[in-house]
Amino acid sequence: MLSRLGTSSVLEGAKTTPRKLTVLRIIRILLLIPFFLFAAVPQQPREAEKDTTAMLQANYLYNIAKLVEWKDESMRTGNFVIGIIGGGNLYQELIKQYSTRTIGKQPIEVRKLPKSADVERCHILFVGRSDLALFPEIYKKLQGQPTMVVTEYAGALDDGAIVNFVKVDNLLKYEMSLANAQKHGLVMGLTLKNLAHRVEE
Amino acid sequence: MNMVRRMLIVVLAVLASSWLGAQTDVLVEALRKYQAADLAAARTLVDSAVRTPVHAENPEAWLLRGFIYKDLYKSTVDVPQADLFRDEALASLYTCIGSDTVGTYKENALQAYEFLTRTFFNDAAKALSEMNEDRALVVFPKYKEAALRIDPTVDLKGRTIEFTNALGTVYTKRFNQDRTVGTWFDKAVAAYKEVMALDPENYGANYNLATLYYNRGVYNIQRIDADDEIPSILQIQEASREFFQQALPFMLKAHDMNPTRRETLLGLEGIYYSLQDQENSDKFRQLFEEIPPEDGR
Repeated sequence: MLSRLGTSSVLEGAKTTPRKLTVLRIIRILLLIPFFLFAAVPQQPREAEKDTTAMLQANYLYNIAKLVEWKDESMRTGNFVIGIIGGGNLYQELIKQYSTRTIGKQPIEVRKLPKSADVERCHILFVGRSDLALFPEIYKKLQGQPTMVVTEYAGALDDGAIVNFVKVDNLLKYEMSLANAQKHGLVMGLTLKNLAHRVEE
Repeated sequence: MNMVRRMLIVVLAVLASSWLGAQTDVLVEALRKYQAADLAAARTLVDSAVRTPVHAENPEAWLLRGFIYKDLYKSTVDVPQADLFRDEALASLYTCIGSDTVGTYKENALQAYEFLTRTFFNDAAKALSEMNEDRALVVFPKYKEAALRIDPTVDLKGRTIEFTNALGTVYTKRFNQDRTVGTWFDKAVAAYKEVMALDPENYGANYNLATLYYNRGVYNIQRIDADDEIPSILQIQEASREFFQQALPFMLKAHDMNPTRRETLLGLEGIYYSLQDQENSDKFRQLFEEIPPEDGR
């Protein structure tokens, strides 16, 4: 299944050949999976009230959502859907702090999604690092879809994520890929770019 | 209680034998009233007695006065009044000890004095358990003063550490009740640092101070809401990072003192997590998971 990743549309504009990049990506993900499975899934979940990363990520997601334009007309009506795979505390934090807010005129709807690559239509899809194994399929299924994939692992922008949380000097920041955003019909605001730790053009 | 009663019997026997021939002596009258549990009358009489030239330097008189005031202290509910009685009892017993050149009454006086001294410490502990730090800060210095007055060489370091640690805990609770008031945080920090100045290896102070700093950092982040924009988030994180970095050395030290203690492992896991150091956070989480709860001291 993994060998079928990385179609030409996803890799449009890449200097490396599609096949070579796909192989590199697969190798990187395969190398990372055992580490995350071993180290990042504690037996006891962290208390939500002490999960500072979840609190920060929730606020970032909300602020990022406000600073991005979805070109697809169909995404500008109805609820503004934030889907969460993994990240139980992030889901709780979004529900607690942001579920009564709106993005523009669209009420925020936070959905806890099953650990599956068959994702529903979302404006933002956050996939936690504990579910890294789902990424190849998720990237594949969301090709060209107006969904902003947000995650938290090194090299995620190269794999197709639009926003990636990174740890810099003991702080949580974000990096983003304008090229990936464009492929999904998203226009990232200037403020968002200026405040990012790193922007891939 | 039995010990106190025995002391009382001894002192009364001593006094009675001394004063058999002085039926009209005001001190004997005071003793009789005391035996009859008429403490108010005994107090008036003994106060008169010690003002007379014959008893002004009489250790027996001061001993009886000390016991009368001690019982008044014990039977008085009104705290300020009880405090006054206790002060008078201690002063009388101290005078007795100082004037008892032969040493006849010293042991009894000393036992009563030490009992009353301990009540200061117990009162301070009780006040702290009731979150009444103002009261604790009044009576604990009195404990030290009373203890040092009778024995200037006494080592009060252990008690001071115990008290100051507990005081820090009260300030921490106050801060946790209203984290907008930074005064409580500052006082708690000062208390734990005072303990560590006396005993740098004090586990409780190191752990508590680390937890205090960590919780302050977490609190800043908990206050983030939807109205905070990205620049604010970065500023809040930077402020919190300082607290997390301040917490780390103290939690590491507490961990070094007892590497199998689960609370410090969890504390380190949390601090590193909040410092966005996933590798170390995971390491301490794993160590935490490996120690069964009943083994984590």
